Amino acid sequence: MRLPVSLNVIMLVVGSSLFYTYVGQLVPQKQLLPPAEVAIAADLTTDQMVKVGFEVVQQKGLCLTCHTIGKSGTLRYPDLAGVGDRAKTRKPGMDDLHYLAESLYHPDAFVVPGFNPGMPTINKPPIGLTDKEILCVIAWLQSLGGTPSVTMQTKLPDQGQG
Amino acid sequence: MKPRLLIAAAIVVLLGLGGAVRVYLALENQAYHPPVRSTSVESGVPREQALEDIAKDHEAKAKAKKYEPPTYRTLPLVSSRVAVWVVAQLHLMFAAFVLAVPMFAFIIELIGYFNGDKRYDRLAYEFTKLLSTSFSFTASFGGFLTFLLIMLYPAFTNYLMEIFSWTFFPYVALFFAEAGFLYSYYYGWGKFHPLVHLFLGLGINVVGTLIMFIADSWASFMMTPGGVSDAGALIDPWAALDNFTWMPINIHRFIGNIAFGGSVAAAYAAWKFLGAKTDEERAHYDWMGYMGNFVAISAFLPLPFAGYYLAREIYGYNQALGIMMMGGAFSWLFIIQAVLIGNLFLAANYYLWLGMGRIEGTQSYQRYVKYLLAAIAVCFAVWATPRSILASVSEIKAMGGTLHPALGVLGVMSAKNTAVNILILTTYVSFLFYRRTGKRPTVAWAALGNAAQFLIFFGVSAFVIALGVYGYFVDAATRIGLSIPQVLSVLFAMVAMTVIDAFLLRGAEETGATHWGKLPAISQYVLIFIAVTFTWLMGLMGYVRSGLRQHWHVYGVMRDQSVDAFTPTLGFATQVISVIVIIFFALIAFVFWLSSLHDRPDWNGGGGH
Repeated sequence: MRLPVSLNVIMLVVGSSLFYTYVGQLVPQKQLLPPAEVAIAADLTTDQMVKVGFEVVQQKGLCLTCHTIGKSGTLRYPDLAGVGDRAKTRKPGMDDLHYLAESLYHPDAFVVPGFNPGMPTINKPPIGLTDKEILCVIAWLQSLGGTPSVTMQTKLPDQGQG
Repeated sequence: MKPRLLIAAAIVVLLGLGGAVRVYLALENQAYHPPVRSTSVESGVPREQALEDIAKDHEAKAKAKKYEPPTYRTLPLVSSRVAVWVVAQLHLMFAAFVLAVPMFAFIIELIGYFNGDKRYDRLAYEFTKLLSTSFSFTASFGGFLTFLLIMLYPAFTNYLMEIFSWTFFPYVALFFAEAGFLYSYYYGWGKFHPLVHLFLGLGINVVGTLIMFIADSWASFMMTPGGVSDAGALIDPWAALDNFTWMPINIHRFIGNIAFGGSVAAAYAAWKFLGAKTDEERAHYDWMGYMGNFVAISAFLPLPFAGYYLAREIYGYNQALGIMMMGGAFSWLFIIQAVLIGNLFLAANYYLWLGMGRIEGTQSYQRYVKYLLAAIAVCFAVWATPRSILASVSEIKAMGGTLHPALGVLGVMSAKNTAVNILILTTYVSFLFYRRTGKRPTVAWAALGNAAQFLIFFGVSAFVIALGVYGYFVDAATRIGLSIPQVLSVLFAMVAMTVIDAFLLRGAEETGATHWGKLPAISQYVLIFIAVTFTWLMGLMGYVRSGLRQHWHVYGVMRDQSVDAFTPTLGFATQVISVIVIIFFALIAFVFWLSSLHDRPDWNGGGGH
């Protein structure tokens, strides 16, 4: 029995749409929520700062969207493993704390050879980390192959400009 | 009865009654009694005064109430975001259609003007018949969208007006001009000198493109704002308009609209073909469908390059935004996109191969179809291979991560760029075979021409694959740059082979006639399938462009504080897109039906004369 053309066309339109909807259900389903604002106490210890810093890196900072930790080969963005140690010698005359701070407040001031500039300024929207959050991120970065020296009382040249 | 006895009985009765009354009163005293208010109202008592004071106080407070403009409003049953999403997408689809159809109607009319073939003029008119109702739908959805934005997102809409109010008057003026040109073009068919009519056709296209450019600036500003301070204050109006993604979106939409419009027009022809009663009608609508599809696929082939340019500018504006799109939350969306585009390539090639059947002497080229199909299938599979594979815990352990040891290498851009470029080349070769069917070159250098085309095809294919492989062994900055020579070499191949073919087939001998209308009905359903897939793809890519902003109305400038300030799952997004696509096709079916009224005989009151 031959079905009417209009019915065939309706079945084709609806069937194709349903098929594509089905494909859409097969991929991972993830709902993205806005980053939660977490108050950071002013009396955190350096160890606590490292933990908070890693949380910020994973969530609000979106750092791991681009950066990797402990990956080698042809990378698109610098790998962060060992950065706490490398930061001491990246720029002559600049200690690791200030190098890492500069990398966050002014990402294009120094670009690792072999990589492109263009990392977003981290204390401005859309990421918009607070100065306290940046101190914690620095603590975590220093912990990757180095010893964290930053405290919640550390003053950095670019603070207060977010 | 003795009197004494009567007196004693009376006393007993009285004592009993007295006792009963006493017990009743004792119980009544212990029971709960609600307070009893006086029902008598006397003027001037404190209660009335108090009521008056309360009323006056309410009135004074109401009069002194400050106006606070709402930031958001909501709708019952449906979320504000979904409402705006559906209406905006429908507006965009109809807008794309009314911008695209005049483009190829004008080009077809121009071809007819130069070659004197009246069939082209009739075809251009047939396409144009679809425009007037679609234009009304576009405007209606545009108005609906504006009202929804003002109603549901007043603060955001106000901000966008703050930035772009200077573009509104030109936009409205262009809209009037568009209506003037479009209706003059449609109703003036055959009423003017051909050159005047062609000028009207050109006018629609120029004005329509400018309208799109202005509207694109609003949408692209939301994604990649420019010309504003950190706090969002307008500094440079032109920089706000000419933001990072404005021109890439203009180009991408311009090409995409032609592909989309061509596919919907081809679907119209397919529908007419399937309902045709005569061979002549079938031949006409077969040709119309072929032309519509030819326009669609011709525009579709360079579309990935325009998309690449847009993606590149998104990366240029903000690396995190680009990574979010291609490697983060939205990366799986591109697997869905690969399925859609793979289907488009398969369907487009299948239609061309079926189309060879309407030409005599197809055997010489049909034997190559299986190789083309194999190439398309392999490229499709590479393109649809995800970087990380969904696997169980035991499978992840066995693989040593979510990356498959063998297939993981196909999930990166080097492989995907290579696959899409080979897909484009293969589809182009399918078209070349179709074009060659039923013709034999007679020029003296035919063998050399064929060899040159063959060499270009294989040389460029090898070059594209080699660059794809090389991409695995170089640093990121170099690898990203490799896609440009890949794209340019494919474009070179298509242009060079077309030029050679044009000269090669000059004065070619006809070895078989083309019988328009003589092909299976399945071919027409393929055309409709292509139109549905294009429409769905438009919905999907519209979602990623808009959804990429995540919890921002204007990325990095104005944050979304509404209850919808989250990015929904891809599963939910695909459901909304399907609803949009089905609504669009229901409405476009109405447009087709209205257009077909043209061909109906006049109503004669039921009495035949």
